[in-house]
Amino acid sequence: MLYAALVRDRPHYGGSVRWVDWYGDGSLYVVDVALACCALEFDAASPAAAVPPPTLDDQAQVAVIISGTVTDRLAPAVAAIVDGCEQQAGRRPAVISFGACASSGGPYWDSYAVTKGIDQLLTVDAYVPGCPPPPEALSAVLDQIAGRVAS
Amino acid sequence: MTGPAPPSHRWIRLIEPACTSCMICARECPSWCISIDSHTEPISDLPPTARERTRNVLDRFAIDWSLCMYCGICVEECPYDALEWVGDLTQPESSRELLVQEMVQPPSDAK
Amino acid sequence: MTEVLPEDWLAEVESLKADGFDYFDWLGCVDEIGRRDCLRVVLVVRNVGHEAEPRTLSCSLPRDDPRIDTVSDVFAGAAWHEREVAELFGVEFVGGDHRRLLLNPEFEGTPLRKDQVLAARAGMNWPGAKEPGETEASPGRRRLVPPGVPDPVVWGDRDASQPLADPAEVAESAVGGRVRWRRT
Repeated sequence: MLYAALVRDRPHYGGSVRWVDWYGDGSLYVVDVALACCALEFDAASPAAAVPPPTLDDQAQVAVIISGTVTDRLAPAVAAIVDGCEQQAGRRPAVISFGACASSGGPYWDSYAVTKGIDQLLTVDAYVPGCPPPPEALSAVLDQIAGRVAS
Repeated sequence: MTGPAPPSHRWIRLIEPACTSCMICARECPSWCISIDSHTEPISDLPPTARERTRNVLDRFAIDWSLCMYCGICVEECPYDALEWVGDLTQPESSRELLVQEMVQPPSDAK
Repeated sequence: MTEVLPEDWLAEVESLKADGFDYFDWLGCVDEIGRRDCLRVVLVVRNVGHEAEPRTLSCSLPRDDPRIDTVSDVFAGAAWHEREVAELFGVEFVGGDHRRLLLNPEFEGTPLRKDQVLAARAGMNWPGAKEPGETEASPGRRRLVPPGVPDPVVWGDRDASQPLADPAEVAESAVGGRVRWRRT
């Protein structure tokens, strides 16, 4: 599959996934798997300080956000991207299912072409409800993962 | 009504005393995310010559927030205004089961 | 909208392009089951900068053997539109690219035909099937059918002694956004 090959052949940073240093201070790295409308909320939630990191620090938290509808056709590619992130980071990232579609298929649960939630393929650590969730919902979850608020 | 409109499309609250278990919200919901259980009970305080009448008692009202698309059709369609938008956010959870919110308090055991 | 016969389709598109309608807008399909027993392929081209109105071509194809010439040699961009119509409606574009575009290779069926039932809805217990005052939906004679699910008498619970419902019956039965009582 094309996506799996892209990620597998580029184990070093600089490959096909775009990491974001969320706070700009090397404490949390985030990858957004931007599938649909929820991806715009990810963009809106990104702090002004967010930058691409030059390297992936061993001590930082890592998270992958699945934003949007997971079609049956793309579902294996999403799983491959998360595997690739794990390879690049050297540890399993927190997986956040952002929005109704990524959590359960959302309003499209009955579609002939939609996977009913990315948890059909991956373990999800946090399910964020919303259609789309507002940007502050994502910020709050990431603050928790980064240990910036009491959970 | 004056003042700014309350924030909408963030979270929905059930006003339990207003709900008659009419099922309209569950039927109109495009995502099928509202689950309602109810039963009928006879009405007791009637004059002695009146025929028996019953009322619906709401046992369970749950919204599965992993499916809800926050369209607000349920809020608009309820004939008794038993559903309203609230400004808080629905909270994220670590499992999909936890995203099913039960909105009816179970009856207290003390009678 | 100009109605075109399948055998004239390619020539008509080439002629429009030669007349200056050289901007391909879109190609789509409508399943007219219930009104006419055909699939209608529609194509829209524009003469940008010179004509305000686009030109729309329509071609009606039989549902059991829908074949039409590809126009991807005239407009390369039509290829993806044709691939989408092919996999979702089962139309064959003769001479065109027959690869799947959006659906998985293992996917079976032509989902946008109106007699293709949304199986997920038909299989799930609908929360709205209960009556006020019920905790379990009673299996009584009067049952509600949600939008998008055909009447069980037509599809799903059909009497085994009856012949299979024809596509028009299934399509008509699933239509509508209102909740209906089940026919008994």
